[in-house]
Amino acid sequence: MRLVPAAAALAVLAGAGCSRVATQAAGKRMIVLGVDGMDPVFVQNHWSELPNLNRLRTEGDFRPLATTVPPQSPVAWSSVSTGMDPGGHGIFDFVHRDPATHAPISSMAEVNEPGRTLSIGPYVIPLSGGSVHSRRAGKTFWQILSENRMPATVIRMPANFPPADCEAESLSGMGTPDLGGSFGTFSFYTNDPAETRTEVAGGRIVHTPVTDGRAVLTVQGPANPLRKDHAITSIDLVAHVDPTEPAARFDLGDRQFILRQGEWSDWLRAQFPFISGLKSASGIVRIYLQQVHPYLRVYASPVNLDPEEPALPISTPGAYSRQLAQTLGPYYTQGIAEETSAYRAGLLSKDEFLVQSRKVLADSLRMFRYQLDRFQTGLLFYYFSSVDQNSHMLWGHYDNDLLEIYRAVDAAIGEAMQKAGRDVTLLILSDHGFARFDRAVHLNTFLMREGFLTLDDPANVGDEEVFAHVDWSRTQAYALGLNAIYLNLQGREPGGIVQQDEREQVAGQIAARLKEFKDPVSGLPVVGQVYFPEKEFRGRNLKNAPDLLVGFHRGFRASWQTALGAVPKLEVEDNTQAWIADHCMASSEVPGVLFSNRKFRVASPRLEDVTVTILHEFGVAPAREMIGESVY
Amino acid sequence: MDFFNHAVDAVLKLYFALFSWAPPLVGLTVLSAAVGVGMLWVVGRTSNQARIRQVKRKVAASLLELRIFADEPAATGRALRSLFSSNLRYMGLALKPALWLAIPMAVLLVHLESFYGRAPLTPGREALVTMRMAPGWNPQSAPPRLEPPPQVQVTAPAVRALDSREVSWRLVPKSAVSGDLVFTVDGTPVRKAIEAGGRQHFVPGRGVRSTLATLWSPGEGRVASSAVEWVEIRYPDAALELFGLAVNWVIWFFLVSIVSALLLKKRLGVVI
Repeated sequence: MRLVPAAAALAVLAGAGCSRVATQAAGKRMIVLGVDGMDPVFVQNHWSELPNLNRLRTEGDFRPLATTVPPQSPVAWSSVSTGMDPGGHGIFDFVHRDPATHAPISSMAEVNEPGRTLSIGPYVIPLSGGSVHSRRAGKTFWQILSENRMPATVIRMPANFPPADCEAESLSGMGTPDLGGSFGTFSFYTNDPAETRTEVAGGRIVHTPVTDGRAVLTVQGPANPLRKDHAITSIDLVAHVDPTEPAARFDLGDRQFILRQGEWSDWLRAQFPFISGLKSASGIVRIYLQQVHPYLRVYASPVNLDPEEPALPISTPGAYSRQLAQTLGPYYTQGIAEETSAYRAGLLSKDEFLVQSRKVLADSLRMFRYQLDRFQTGLLFYYFSSVDQNSHMLWGHYDNDLLEIYRAVDAAIGEAMQKAGRDVTLLILSDHGFARFDRAVHLNTFLMREGFLTLDDPANVGDEEVFAHVDWSRTQAYALGLNAIYLNLQGREPGGIVQQDEREQVAGQIAARLKEFKDPVSGLPVVGQVYFPEKEFRGRNLKNAPDLLVGFHRGFRASWQTALGAVPKLEVEDNTQAWIADHCMASSEVPGVLFSNRKFRVASPRLEDVTVTILHEFGVAPAREMIGESVY
Repeated sequence: MDFFNHAVDAVLKLYFALFSWAPPLVGLTVLSAAVGVGMLWVVGRTSNQARIRQVKRKVAASLLELRIFADEPAATGRALRSLFSSNLRYMGLALKPALWLAIPMAVLLVHLESFYGRAPLTPGREALVTMRMAPGWNPQSAPPRLEPPPQVQVTAPAVRALDSREVSWRLVPKSAVSGDLVFTVDGTPVRKAIEAGGRQHFVPGRGVRSTLATLWSPGEGRVASSAVEWVEIRYPDAALELFGLAVNWVIWFFLVSIVSALLLKKRLGVVI
């Protein structure tokens, strides 16, 4: 899914960010580690394997941490960032919908194209700057700390792209696109005739002939923002395949390297030309040589923004990402770097996925240790994605592999505990827990069966996205995203048929039916809770909320087709994909964790409390809109 | 040609050794200044200094005429024509010393590349060595056998690039090394020097078979086997630093030599 036209995003080139002013806090120190997806039950079942977390709970404290409605990472981490619920910060799902078109859009960032341009032949020269904005509303805790002259370093906070403008050092996290403007699009090159697909979720498969031992792998970059046709830029990676040995030489520009079958390359820097010799975008990419004979199979990672020359703002100050790269070498800048898409598509095996995700974790740990070493004063926030992404693919089936990831994070927590000692407050939190995802629920099909959604022809059920065959003149509600249902509301949706005064009644009817919804195969109830945003949330962005949020029972989740507005034939079917676990369910089913080296005062903490706790620790008053309280 | 290349390298190695106590940029700066003086001397000896002086005076007069008679189109046109023709004459007069300087300067630059342009391999980091085979090579035949020095490990099988007649090996120097890779090609040993670790030092470039090509790829003797066109290790570029900034050695070389020539031209009585 493209976040935005990449051309527009890259026309914004540079500029954003803020200069860091040396600040001196009054010696307050706090380390906060965000471990996405760390599950309270899993850690409780493995205390002996997680010695640092075990020590932390005995010497300090441990509680399950109530998560947001819905329990999705962009939503939950936005609540941590701002101390507000979704009604305040305005992030309700991974994807929102454009009410004018019903099409899915990124909930995290939007791009405004340059206002004025000059056309010269095939080129278009921007005369005014475009811009990229975070859709998250509200002031973040590190912005507030900066305003109060407290030093803060915030690394990879989700839903912080582009990074919130401030004097703190920050690096953007989940939501940061690849160079092409998507959440991450890999490429897979093969001459295997058995592989007939060309597109899979999150990637493309390129059928590449090998002639005389030579294959030209076209690595796609961003759309060219300086051309009227926004043609996709590309560079050629030439593979020379040895006739008998399981190895190949790759030529990328003037760089050459050899990979044996099963080996990954280092990061390769690639320049994608907009105007040859004058303007280009820089990216970094990794290659994996999966197979050489009888057929060539090569995986290329999504082209990450080059942290030394980011085409989009990914850090504050702007030069901070470069400074990190010059110290640590190239690193993943893509928001979600674990290659779950290629694994889901069957292009990488589980073991290959594990190797790749360990590389991501190693990359993250390298940066974490660097940040921990240089941490002197103020706040250090560091985010780990590995537990979450690996849980999605391993939970409930491959617990030993998952435990290895937990152990690695536990070891990192041990390093933080050592750095913190008794003087520094240490807080470890996760945004949600995990549960099995056995049955995929097609919410639009459910709405159709219940008479709230109508197709132009009942035979037109299928996986076509963006409500391809929905008859809007006879549709009262539709589902999009992983928990959201929207009414086809008059005055909001074009041709909406639900009157404003019918809204509550129709939403109530849908909620009642959802609560009665049983899995046709097992007879188990599918939905545990249905949330009405106006009852759950407060804040200025409540008007943008879905009309209902669906809280599934453990084991159930909205299908991938639902997320993008498809209406398949069945209401519920087995989840046969490699993505075997999830958390987009009822919030009470998947709480997160909260650990500290100090005792908690609050018995049942929630995510929004973390924000207030951090500010409280630095003696800074929380903003009026913040709804939490300090846990100490 | 091999004797000539070795002789030049031997002199330069001696010079390089004289400055082994200092960063490479120091020796390069001194050499560049000396070359600047040398170029000045060659220009003084090979050019018609009297004519150059005369043409330069003519240029100055034309420029003055342009300023004084700016409001007289006829005079301005005459001055412009004179300026143009004087410039052509000046370029013609500069041609002879340029021709005298071209070959020795090219030879010098090619040799200096081995001292200042390439850096030794970094121990622990991968590098490629590639051999281009002569036309007529059978790509299905086994690749040449490679015997590295003990400090160097070959970490992947040889890869034959059929379309470009190349065979590449992946190497990792485990520690500092200054030795030879020995390839056996159709029973003939072919040597290629390998340099890894330590300070900036002499790092020879491509080893070639053709006598003519050795002029541009000095540093090693001709490749011994007729089955091989060239053999090359991909060395990283040397990073010469000036106050923390990376400096391209060629730019620095010409900058210093030109500045030194300009500073000393009056003292040496040379008009340029």
